[in-house]
Amino acid sequence: MDVHPPYLYPDYKSTRLRAPSEPLVRVAPSPLEATGPVFPKHFVKDSEADLTTWGRSAPLGEKMVLVGRLLDEDGRPVRRSLIEVWQANASGKYPHPVDDHEAPLDPNFLGKGQVLTDDEGRYRIVTVKPGAYPWQNHAFGWRPAHIHFSLFGNAYAQRLITQMFFPGDPLLAIDPIFQSVPEAGRRLLIADLDLEQGVEGVALGYRWDMVVRGPRATPMGV
Amino acid sequence: MPKPTPSQTVGPFFARELLWKDGGGVLFPGRGDRITLTGRVFDGNGAPIYDALFETWQADAVGKFPSGDDGSRPYGYGRVSTDSDGRYAVETVMPGSFTGPGGERYAPQISVAIFARGLLKGLRTRVFLAPLELIKDDPLARAIGDPDRLRTLIAARDAGDPKIYRWDVRLRGAGEAVFIEF
Ligand SMILES: [Fe+2]
Repeated sequence: MDVHPPYLYPDYKSTRLRAPSEPLVRVAPSPLEATGPVFPKHFVKDSEADLTTWGRSAPLGEKMVLVGRLLDEDGRPVRRSLIEVWQANASGKYPHPVDDHEAPLDPNFLGKGQVLTDDEGRYRIVTVKPGAYPWQNHAFGWRPAHIHFSLFGNAYAQRLITQMFFPGDPLLAIDPIFQSVPEAGRRLLIADLDLEQGVEGVALGYRWDMVVRGPRATPMGV
Repeated sequence: MPKPTPSQTVGPFFARELLWKDGGGVLFPGRGDRITLTGRVFDGNGAPIYDALFETWQADAVGKFPSGDDGSRPYGYGRVSTDSDGRYAVETVMPGSFTGPGGERYAPQISVAIFARGLLKGLRTRVFLAPLELIKDDPLARAIGDPDRLRTLIAARDAGDPKIYRWDVRLRGAGEAVFIEF
């Protein structure tokens, strides 16, 4: 069963002019696409996994630790693979010129980080919980709190960009971007509270595992 | 068997986070003919898409797949965004053709991924850097069949500057490019 959203999801208005109208052509990944960019170890500094130490002092907001594993569909760990994250600050504001949300920037928070998975596919990032923010897709629309993720896997065919959400968020029910995912897939986008991964008295712990497709799965029905 | 993580849109706020200085200059360890792949990305109304992330992954000049890095960034990978006119440009080497495990011949091509606000899943395709007559045996060309559809994936060599290959990408509607899934 497909857990991915469709391209055309009219409740998310921007899909109406950007979703292809022709069916996609299904092909096997080429041998080129079964390989992918290799990021050198020193492409990522250890400090880039902690989004809270970028400024002169701590950013505002609820500090959190997020841990998890990156696996492929066969359950194998995806090792030494780049994970990029970006997010709004605790007020729901991005330091981005096109973000017109009237909320304060945080001089101590850039909202950008990256990490390489270890030999067991594990990652750990430290950040603050992003705030929800309004958007103009529909009347009174607010995006639930989310962290954006960019994944490479170990093959270009595995490339995936997605978003992670928080458990129990009432805004999930009114978010067309989240709701575009078929019901069977929605749970997969929500992190679990995992207090022991946090730091006692300092940071809440969350866990979120991610799964990318196999590097060279053969096309179905061909 | 774990289920794959569903895709979500890259949204409008990726620029500062995902773009690199010189991300449009694709690195290779060896030599090769330097070319520029450039064009514009359009929506279903023919309006330019000014907030797309455009990525490339390709073989080197002799059809070998890149592995490793130059110490700073991976070889073979390009990443840019479109500008206010919907234009992207990637400066790279002319990729060589390569052979698949069953002996299939892959024509000179670049694997492309496009992410944008309004795209709940990244769009995947391959752009050919060779004319129609020379790509007929390529596995994707065979899968598409219809030459009019196939032409949406052929970059045109600039008449005035042979180092420039022009490829416009219409996401929806008249002249819509062929997109692929694995
Ligand atoms: Fe966002």
